[in-house]
Amino acid sequence: MSAMPVLDVKNLEVAYHTDETVMRAVNGISFSIDERETVGLVGETGAGKTTTALAIMRLLPERTGRINRGEIFYKGEDLSKKSADQMRLIRGACISMIFQDPMTSLNPILTVGDQILEALEIHNTDGKPKTALDARVDELLSLVGISPLRKVEYPHQFSGGMKQRIVIAIALACEPLLLIADEPTTALDVTIQAQVLVLMGELKQKLGTSMIMISHDLGVIAKTCDKVAVMYAGEIVEYGSARDIFEGRDHHPYTTGLFRAIPNLLGESRRLYPIDGLMPDPSALPSGCKFHPRCSGRMSGCDGEAPFLFEENGHRIQCNLFRKMAGQ
Amino acid sequence: MTAILKTTNLKKYFKIGNNGFLHAVDGVDIELERGTTLGVVGESGCGKSTLGRLVLGLLPATSGEIYYDGVDIMHCGNAELAECRRKTQIIFQDPYSSLNPRMSVYELISEPLVSNKAFRNKAERYARVMELMDTVGLAERFINSYPHEMDGGRRQRVGVARALALKPDFIVCDEPVSALDVSIQAQILNLLMDMQDEMNLTYMFITHDLSVVRHISNEIMVMYLGQCVERSPSKELFRNPAHPYTQALLSAIPAPVLGGFAPEKLLRGEISDPINPEPGCRFAKRCSQCGTNCVGKDVPLEEIEPGHFVACTLFTQKGGMPRNTS
Repeated sequence: MSAMPVLDVKNLEVAYHTDETVMRAVNGISFSIDERETVGLVGETGAGKTTTALAIMRLLPERTGRINRGEIFYKGEDLSKKSADQMRLIRGACISMIFQDPMTSLNPILTVGDQILEALEIHNTDGKPKTALDARVDELLSLVGISPLRKVEYPHQFSGGMKQRIVIAIALACEPLLLIADEPTTALDVTIQAQVLVLMGELKQKLGTSMIMISHDLGVIAKTCDKVAVMYAGEIVEYGSARDIFEGRDHHPYTTGLFRAIPNLLGESRRLYPIDGLMPDPSALPSGCKFHPRCSGRMSGCDGEAPFLFEENGHRIQCNLFRKMAGQ
Repeated sequence: MTAILKTTNLKKYFKIGNNGFLHAVDGVDIELERGTTLGVVGESGCGKSTLGRLVLGLLPATSGEIYYDGVDIMHCGNAELAECRRKTQIIFQDPYSSLNPRMSVYELISEPLVSNKAFRNKAERYARVMELMDTVGLAERFINSYPHEMDGGRRQRVGVARALALKPDFIVCDEPVSALDVSIQAQILNLLMDMQDEMNLTYMFITHDLSVVRHISNEIMVMYLGQCVERSPSKELFRNPAHPYTQALLSAIPAPVLGGFAPEKLLRGEISDPINPEPGCRFAKRCSQCGTNCVGKDVPLEEIEPGHFVACTLFTQKGGMPRNTS
């Protein structure tokens, strides 16, 4: 394994500027992905998960979205400095993305075969003949478990799960080193979700792709990720290996709250434990720790300065509760 | 106790094309007692939302019977139906599209009160709206807000307040928390359970998420392609799921614990076509234990434990004992 991570995000800050306000969607996050590794971004709506993904792909809305600070290194090259033309060569070939809703991310008036071919043609820099590309389309469809005979059909002729398989085939067409999956199974039924997760697991094994898995579902994250970043209001409040997050002893209060709020299949209790209050407005974020208005363990200093960063064997927690622990 | 809602052999077919019929709900029997919750679980397209609309009389049934509190709502007069409609309500899935964007919270919550002429003067109505907002945990300052000014959780609270406005007995909750984040979802589920304890409400709770339904239901009905494949008290269903489909549904849920994801009962294929289905078990094509008895004739529900019904040929052999369950 090479020492250089596939992707290294450092202090990334993204904001959406509108006429009236500035929405601070991502506020200084750092994480890195090694080869063959899956990193999960988990959090609720508005935590900045998708914005992070769009910033890496440089697909932020042109007029409003802006990377204010930070660097995104893909194999040592800073993506945030690339021109639009350079990015176009990277997107799809080196980094590709699976979007949440397969119903809207496929073109309804092109056959699925043509849509996979499109990705291959754009990145066909060494001038392979059309027949080779066609063969590759068949190969990709079989890879995701769809008969190549169906490549002449249109998206509406496929069910939701099949459409998501096609989206995966397009994303994998040029054998990218990094795959960003933005809630790839949220729009699917549980039994179909299980099929797609198993498929993605197999493909990851076979192709050795690194992956960013974005989800609000801690179950999906537990089953797919090596490292997990828990996001809240544009910050990574806790970051560590999957073991640290799911089995570790120390947690950020938000992570604890998130786990307690999930309806449990095994527990006996009837009542659930919601986190009081709501996600803060990104145009008026609270000072200090962004979670302090909802936190049950808040102390006098939490609303002032940025929270204490606790670090132990790569497990990072941004919380003042750990200041004492670290001091002893 | 008498059943507040009872349906027998309830069917709803939608006409598709010239001679196709989409069997949305195909022979469902429900008996629901006052103050209890029936969870209806299934994947998209299994007919669970259609069932919810049928029992409220929002869609005319093709055949079968629906009794609400002893009144046959398919054949009663308009006055009786109107009375039933006051007592039955629905909470919709998506609080983003089920609230009129041009109405304020006050107008939204008072709308059912106005259209049913529930109060003689404005002051009384205002007091009732305030009371409802307090019940569902909406702060007073939102009374003049519009839906777009509130987040999903608060919007869904408005939806709950609207449903409660006329003091109903029975509420159909059609995926009330699916569009919400987990921390907010827990708030709404707790609210619904508190309301039930306070007002002795009866719920029909429709969802695709088995883990949600576990917390709120007394009894659970699993639907597949318009038919009920398993019905059981909630605890029993999770302890001892009998139908292969229920087992597959349960094992498909990724639990938030570490470990590779390899569901034992990964289903092949997808839900089959609900248009003019052939007789026989509708799950047969995806079932790993499908035998020759499964096709050709319909499989009835059988009681395998007191209160636990399953429609599967594995259980129709002698004495309800499973033929072969690995």
